[in-house]
Amino acid sequence: MLIIIAWRNLWRHRTRSLAIITSVALGVWAGAFIVSLYYGMGNERVRIAIEQEVSHIQVHHPKFRDDHDVVFNFALDSLEAALRHTPGVKAFSLRTTVQGMLANASGSNGVQVNGVDPDAEDKTRGLKNFIINGGYFEAEKKHQVLVGKKLADKMKLAPGNKIVLTFQDIEQNITSGAFRIAGIYETANAPLDERNVYVRRGDLDELLDTPGRGTEAAVLLTDESELPAAMAALTRQLPGLEVQDWRAISPETALVMSSLDISSFIIIAIILIALAFGIVNTMLMAVLERTREIGMLMAVGMTKLRLFGMVVLETLLLTLTGCPIGFGLAWLANSWLSKKGIDLSAIAENLLKGFGYGVVIYPDLPGDKVCQIIQIVFVTALLASVFPAWKALKMRPAEAIRH
Amino acid sequence: MKTTVIDIHNVSKIYNPDTIPVHAVNGVHLHIERGEFTALVGPSGSGKTTLLNIIGGLDVPTEGKVVINDTDITALSPNRLIQFRLHNIGFVFQSFNLIPVLTASENVEFIMLLQGAPKAERERRVKELMHAVGLSDKMDVRPAQLSGGQQQRVAVARALASKPQFILADEPTANLDSQSATNLLDMMAQLNREEGMTFIFSTHDARVIERARRVITLVDGRIASDTASVSVA
Ligand SMILES: Nc1ncnc2c1ncn2[C@@H]1O[C@H](COP(=O)(O)OP(=O)(O)OP(=O)(O)O)[C@@H](O)[C@H]1O
Ligand SMILES: [Mg+2]
Repeated sequence: MLIIIAWRNLWRHRTRSLAIITSVALGVWAGAFIVSLYYGMGNERVRIAIEQEVSHIQVHHPKFRDDHDVVFNFALDSLEAALRHTPGVKAFSLRTTVQGMLANASGSNGVQVNGVDPDAEDKTRGLKNFIINGGYFEAEKKHQVLVGKKLADKMKLAPGNKIVLTFQDIEQNITSGAFRIAGIYETANAPLDERNVYVRRGDLDELLDTPGRGTEAAVLLTDESELPAAMAALTRQLPGLEVQDWRAISPETALVMSSLDISSFIIIAIILIALAFGIVNTMLMAVLERTREIGMLMAVGMTKLRLFGMVVLETLLLTLTGCPIGFGLAWLANSWLSKKGIDLSAIAENLLKGFGYGVVIYPDLPGDKVCQIIQIVFVTALLASVFPAWKALKMRPAEAIRH
Repeated sequence: MKTTVIDIHNVSKIYNPDTIPVHAVNGVHLHIERGEFTALVGPSGSGKTTLLNIIGGLDVPTEGKVVINDTDITALSPNRLIQFRLHNIGFVFQSFNLIPVLTASENVEFIMLLQGAPKAERERRVKELMHAVGLSDKMDVRPAQLSGGQQQRVAVARALASKPQFILADEPTANLDSQSATNLLDMMAQLNREEGMTFIFSTHDARVIERARRVITLVDGRIASDTASVSVA
């Protein structure tokens, strides 16, 4: 019956309660929306990182991590065999990478030269899709290079231009080769676009004298869920090599999710602290204007514990009633927006690309985030109820009745 | 055979002892027997409410003690006192007796719920009591839809529901028109006669006073007179 009393008490001041319920609903909606926006951004960032940048797994020589030197290479044939027999592998790209310099008549720029198999690289990272000017590698042409848009803009490069790539071979001899730009690519991650140029692995092997060898294998899986099994299988099959998942290769990407978690938590907390003042105020009014009634309740035998419980219950009902409404609104907004996505290209295209984020965000609110928000709201309501409930407890029946 | 239900022993109450002391009740000795129908009268400010509150354990006396059926309630801890009130004392106040969000019958049931009575018994007694106070047709009506007299009847039913030792009523008719006041008094007198319920009520109303079988008059916190009346209730 305490619940009945608490619930009906809510509706004694319909407008006042509705105002609080509405503000909680709006607060939850705003909080849920921000969380889903952040989560959508984070998801998109991770998706881009995996599908377009680092793939799920990379394999290197153990020393390559500290020193990206081409001397830390390994034979590709056994690796290729291992990859072909690992379940869950969707595609993989074997690369030879070397740090070097790109130069043309007007200047030079430090780059990482990636020697790739055009087909494999496209299957693993979809490189072909990023060509915005010119074309992808053509089968019959040798010494072609793809450069990123950022670098092309900086050095005023266009398809058909000739450039020279200079680097050290495995004997530490400076070597260079002339390449013709086949196309300009642009990914979501502009800083990476500036650093990386792509050539055929065969062309690079000739210059470096590394036939049949490479420095990196990037592995795309059919799904994130295959990762643990694939990691285990590859680690077992490639004893001399270092097998790392995307979290290890790109810790900043893994960090994105947790930092977005923290910032969305802070925003929700701020929203709820603001709401808490309204809730405390309303409940205080509700308690004080019922002084005589509370005095009567204590007189006829309502214990302090029950009285406390009644006020807490009323506060919880007042607060939590707004929750489903807020989530309902959030769900409606999300199901509409997640189909279309939120296109931020008009306001923040360069900003987002500069940090490797997608321009279109698909809000997403996973179940555990909903639970988290409900928990925060619940705790807020509990905290907000303490002061009014304590006020009620402090009343003395004889005085409250005379009030 | 007479049994003493309430033994008030040398009770005094001083409000604001440190600033401007008010001697609201002054050395009162009083015995209330089971089955009494007693009126507490006296001019405004004479200490009626204060004395009733002390008897009911809503207020603590500055001096003296109140013994109810062998329990010295002035020695009980606040929480024990609440429990004691719940099981032993029925209250009817001048106003704000009922929980406005509960229906008449829910208000009556509420007390039994606090006492932990089983559902079947609660339902049976609610019907019985609502019938006893003549409001069988108002079971599901909220207090706001009841007249002042009807509300006080529900309050009496609520007070009876806990099967108390006695019922204290502080000016129960003060907000009622004379017809409703008479009806309420008739009903209380009937419960007193037929069920033997002990009533102590304060009042200013001459017509109410003449229904009482014992009239205690307070003046300045002291008992000025204590007379048994022969009038038939
Ligand atoms: N909380 C309090 N603080 C100080 N003085 C009080 C307090 N309550 C009552 N008094 C004083 O105690 C005296 C007795 O008051 P009480 O209310 O018991 O009288 P009463 O007989 O019930 O009066 P009434 O007929 O007006 O209800 C009065 O002088 C009153 O002003
Ligand atoms: Mg009074």
